[in-house]
Amino acid sequence: MTVGTLDQELAADLAAASLVLARRFAAGATLWCLAPSWEPHAQHVAVEFVHPVIVGKKALPAVALTGPDLVAAGRVSVRAGDVVLAVAGADDPQVRDVLRRAPAWGATTLWIGSGGRPPPGAADHVLWLDDPDPALPATGGFVLLYHLLWELTHVCFEHPGLLTEQAPGSVCITCSDEGRLGEVVAPGRVRTAGGVEDVSTLLVDPVAPGDLVLVHAGTAITRVDP
Amino acid sequence: MRFVDEFRDPAAARTLLGAIERLAAPDRHHKFMEVCGGHTHTIYRHGIEHLLPANVELVHGPGCPVCVIPMGRVDDAMWLAEQPDVIFTCFGDMMRVPGSNGSLLEAKARGADVRFVYSPLDALALATRNPDRQVVFFALGFETTAPSTAVTLVRARELGVANFSVFCNHVTIVPPLKAILDSPDLRLDGFLGPGHVSTVVGNRPYRFVPEVYGKPIVVAGFEPLDILASVAMLLTQLREGRCEVENQYSRIVRDEGNPAALALMGQVFALRPHFEWRGLGFISQSALRLHDDFAEFDAEQRFAMPGVRVADPKACQCGEVLKGVLKPWECKVFGTACTPETPIGTCMVSPEGACAAYYNFGRMHRDAAHLVARG
Ligand code: SF4
Repeated sequence: MTVGTLDQELAADLAAASLVLARRFAAGATLWCLAPSWEPHAQHVAVEFVHPVIVGKKALPAVALTGPDLVAAGRVSVRAGDVVLAVAGADDPQVRDVLRRAPAWGATTLWIGSGGRPPPGAADHVLWLDDPDPALPATGGFVLLYHLLWELTHVCFEHPGLLTEQAPGSVCITCSDEGRLGEVVAPGRVRTAGGVEDVSTLLVDPVAPGDLVLVHAGTAITRVDP
Repeated sequence: MRFVDEFRDPAAARTLLGAIERLAAPDRHHKFMEVCGGHTHTIYRHGIEHLLPANVELVHGPGCPVCVIPMGRVDDAMWLAEQPDVIFTCFGDMMRVPGSNGSLLEAKARGADVRFVYSPLDALALATRNPDRQVVFFALGFETTAPSTAVTLVRARELGVANFSVFCNHVTIVPPLKAILDSPDLRLDGFLGPGHVSTVVGNRPYRFVPEVYGKPIVVAGFEPLDILASVAMLLTQLREGRCEVENQYSRIVRDEGNPAALALMGQVFALRPHFEWRGLGFISQSALRLHDDFAEFDAEQRFAMPGVRVADPKACQCGEVLKGVLKPWECKVFGTACTPETPIGTCMVSPEGACAAYYNFGRMHRDAAHLVARG
């Protein structure tokens, strides 16, 4: 993409991400924004959503997460149902770590960046400019993307019928071969998208707070690399 | 639009679909079996089979543990549930599986104390809270779920919970794979190997698939992109004349699995000489019983269960569906006499069963899928 044009794929990604964001906001989410290498982007995204530039648009809760330890900040801030949005290159270790853990906190994730793409599954939604120019974060390409994200989110709000999420179908723990990501709070206590649960960690011991595990039927069956 | 959204990263999905089209030999029909019920659910939910080129077919295997429970075991569970002073516990979907005299849900409606639990540890907690009642847990599932039962039994022994027992129906993944590979009905070109089962058993147990049967197998994750990437990996192997165990789900599955879980399972369980699988018949060494050291917790020893073998209803073609010989909609009673509300066969019960997955999602996706593929 060059600034001012969007290819079809990116337009589709943006539309999908905006719909999810609108649905999450409608259900009471807060948007947590981080951009460790370019902090002004995190603040810009947050202010965009909190302080709408168009009169009459809804102010939506958004906060910039800043500071030296974004994992710790995210862990205490993010609640189940929230959205975590990162503006960063694919190789940013802090962003990768936060987005890896966010499903255990119950959050939806969105990653805006440029250059080489993050690996599949690194975030729920990836809005990516394939331009390798390292100066791109300063050119306005990202600003255009998150302005469009904001604008399209509000377009979704104009169609309330879109805002109701389909209830996820029920799954059988054993038949679905369920494995839910969890973050260890303490031995025997694991935080998952459903909250903090009693989970046997016997089979992955020793564990420490912050370790990631996969939970199946009340037992952590394997460790997951952060 | 909904269809595209659910791929999470539509651009990556289209790239993979392009690769699959290029890799599939135009003069061949490629037939791959996904073994795991979780994969079946993803495939139907996201309409993946309709996005694949016409010469790449996915067939659905016996990886839904509820679907493979034979009727006689359901009848035994009903018998247990109806004993005085018993609290019978099981995973949610098991409640609706029909036996020859109704389901556990119907037994509950008749007054039996049947409760669904999320974990066997919840059943054990129920036993400690109800010392005057016998609490029985209906254990079923592959090697993903068996460790949780093992952990529970070890804890039950540590705590000395005498009123807790397990009706063990755990099954293992390798023997049915062998049975399918030996079946003359089916010609497969490869397998999508189970994801979370492999976090426990690792990748090594599947080596016989390429080494003995000359078929590739790729352990696959559960996201739509994982499935597409795994199909592309299978086709790449075929294209390059390779035949190996590959791990697409390496972000979770380690080659060696979870040795601690395997060791604990070795202490708590022993292999049954044979076990009946719905549709596949008796398969030797394909299921687990409690080890003699844990016999005190074995419901089959504590209660004089009838243990009668019951034939499937005549109309039921679950066996052919479980072996991938028939597609769900080819069963004579699919969607008419057999629906998720009134299941005749087990494959219509759990959302991961091929018939229920197809009933819930598959029927709606054909047209949308082709639109997206063209888009
Ligand atoms: S439609 Fe019902 S009876 Fe037929 S194969 Fe499926 S579950 Fe079995």
